[in-house]
Amino acid sequence: MAIAIDNKSAAIVAKYRTLFDVKEKQLNGQKNHPLQTIRRQAMDRLEDIGFPARKDEDYKYTYVTKIVKESFAEGKGATIGKNVAEAAGFPELDAYQLVFVNGVLNAELSDTKHLMAGLTISDMKTAYENADTQALVEKALTNELGLNAFVALNTAFAHSGVFIHVAKGTIVDKPIHISNITVSGGAAIMTHPQIVGIAEESSEVSVVETYYAVNDGTYFTNSLSRFVVGKNAHVHHYKLQNESQSAFQINNAIATQERDSTYSSYVLDLGGKTVRNNLSSHLQSSGTNTNLYGVYLAKGNQHIDNQSFIDHAHPHCESNELYKGIIDDKGRGVFNGKVNVRQDAQKTNAFQQNSSLVLSNTAIMDTKPQLEIFADDVKCSHGATIGQMDETSIYYLRTRGMSLEQARSMLQFAFVAEVLENFQIEAVKEKALAMMADKLG
Amino acid sequence: MLKIKDLKVSVEDKEILRGINLDIKPGEIHAIMGPNGSGKSTLSHVLAGKDDYEVDSGSIEFCGEDLLDMEIDERAIAGIFLAFQYPVEIPGVSNANFLKSMVNSVRKARGEEEMNAMEMLKYLKAKTKLVELDQALLKRSLNEGFSGGEKKRNEMLQMAVLEPKLGILDETDSGLDIDALRIVANAVNQLRTKDRSFLIVTHYQRLLDYIVPDFVHVLYNGQIVKTGDKNLALELEKRGYDWIKEEVDGVSA
Repeated sequence: MAIAIDNKSAAIVAKYRTLFDVKEKQLNGQKNHPLQTIRRQAMDRLEDIGFPARKDEDYKYTYVTKIVKESFAEGKGATIGKNVAEAAGFPELDAYQLVFVNGVLNAELSDTKHLMAGLTISDMKTAYENADTQALVEKALTNELGLNAFVALNTAFAHSGVFIHVAKGTIVDKPIHISNITVSGGAAIMTHPQIVGIAEESSEVSVVETYYAVNDGTYFTNSLSRFVVGKNAHVHHYKLQNESQSAFQINNAIATQERDSTYSSYVLDLGGKTVRNNLSSHLQSSGTNTNLYGVYLAKGNQHIDNQSFIDHAHPHCESNELYKGIIDDKGRGVFNGKVNVRQDAQKTNAFQQNSSLVLSNTAIMDTKPQLEIFADDVKCSHGATIGQMDETSIYYLRTRGMSLEQARSMLQFAFVAEVLENFQIEAVKEKALAMMADKLG
Repeated sequence: MLKIKDLKVSVEDKEILRGINLDIKPGEIHAIMGPNGSGKSTLSHVLAGKDDYEVDSGSIEFCGEDLLDMEIDERAIAGIFLAFQYPVEIPGVSNANFLKSMVNSVRKARGEEEMNAMEMLKYLKAKTKLVELDQALLKRSLNEGFSGGEKKRNEMLQMAVLEPKLGILDETDSGLDIDALRIVANAVNQLRTKDRSFLIVTHYQRLLDYIVPDFVHVLYNGQIVKTGDKNLALELEKRGYDWIKEEVDGVSA
């Protein structure tokens, strides 16, 4: 398929190509490493695809070109104290821990020394050089499923990356927490956090990504996580995002699901100036479950865009999607939930709900459920509501002695709590609630 | 305690209360009865401070303060409690958390010490017993999926924990079965003290079999047209409201 790329996009891509070439020159001996070949191919793919233009329907409400046209230097790491890592994470949660500061792994603050049997966590290079996992890495990083310009950009520029392998039948004993911390100062940086997670047959694992800013500053986080959920396996994938209010985040999460597998995504978006989530699940066989839960709070001039795509290609699969958010001030929210039910996907159960509270005259929410159903024996439902806070409820709470602010905050909390109830890890749920409380004031 | 003088209130330019005078002293129980549309609920909500009403003239003094000058929550903190005719369902707010934050925010505002978790647990347990409410309802979302009787008992529970100076029951008895009615009445009787007063707004006399009022007022067309003791309620039960209307309107049947 020939894709016409406008000149503006081509010029921006050329800027990244230059950056890529300069970086590659500095690699010396590593230049011909197969992983570098994969990166170079990704850079080539980015040139083919180009960055989305304003007229691109999928990016209608979120003008991403304004992000990538800025100049960002590559993150080179930074020094932080243990207390910062703790504030960014879950001190009370026993987890395998990986801490990245400005895109670079901080080994001292990380803890992956005593992995249980059946669990492997490494950087991408190590995983590639291991004969047992080489093919998995290669397949994941060259997979065209869910591919877009930002996935290609991530693949071309990712630093060390995180590779997670869960062997057949392994129930991972504690969550894997990947903490991404950004310290701003000097030139604006970009980071490309990358996760490849392989959950083999009948295994179960929870991966928690967090994004935390030490200070306010402009930077660009372009992350990619690819999960391959094996037969009868279950991957719980969390993202708690609290980037700086001037930061940009594009988050790409792509799951491929084998027979009888479950992929559950839990997303909380609080930070960022412009945030775009591209979440997709590609069902490879029947009997699968896909659960997508999301909460977003946009205040000030924040813009949070959630795009999801579930491709029901096989019969007897279930998907369940619940996104709720609050938009205040001049904030803007976007939800686009695509569910594709192909002709063969009989007995599909697909449920989707998006509800938003819009609290000011200048706040905007655009919601678009997009179900395309080609099978005839399915149960599919979708709902989208946009509303304001219920005045009667506020009055009721105030007659019980609560101030207007208390009443409003309690109702906003209650509105999104329904989604957080689905978070399976208590410490993560508690943290999410506390982060929300901070933001709601 | 509560002095209402010549209170005139309208909603969207329609006059609902047309000169109410009422004086409630500490420890008294007043019942306000009247046909539908007479302004009973309006009076309750004006006392609680609901925004939709326009007070055209008159004054309300509560414990020496100008009630009309106070915000909704300030009134609650000062000691006004309104039990709603239709308690609001709030999904996502657990009943227990709601009660806890309510008690502590009011205690704080009243200059009292906030309760710790243990004290709170004991306090809520005792109050829950008073209104014979199933403890399991504390864990549920506020009023969500509660039966009519459970909602009203939950209102009584909130009243019990907030310990108001004046409890206003806005048709709390409407639609209740006899067991729930008895529990509501029992809660009021137990909370009755020489300093705490009640204003019981009702359409039916039945509740007054269980809560003996000191005064019964008949509200009709936005005015108190008759005041008596508990026997007035019995007469209304026997004869209905038509004779009052006839007396006031001067029309014979």
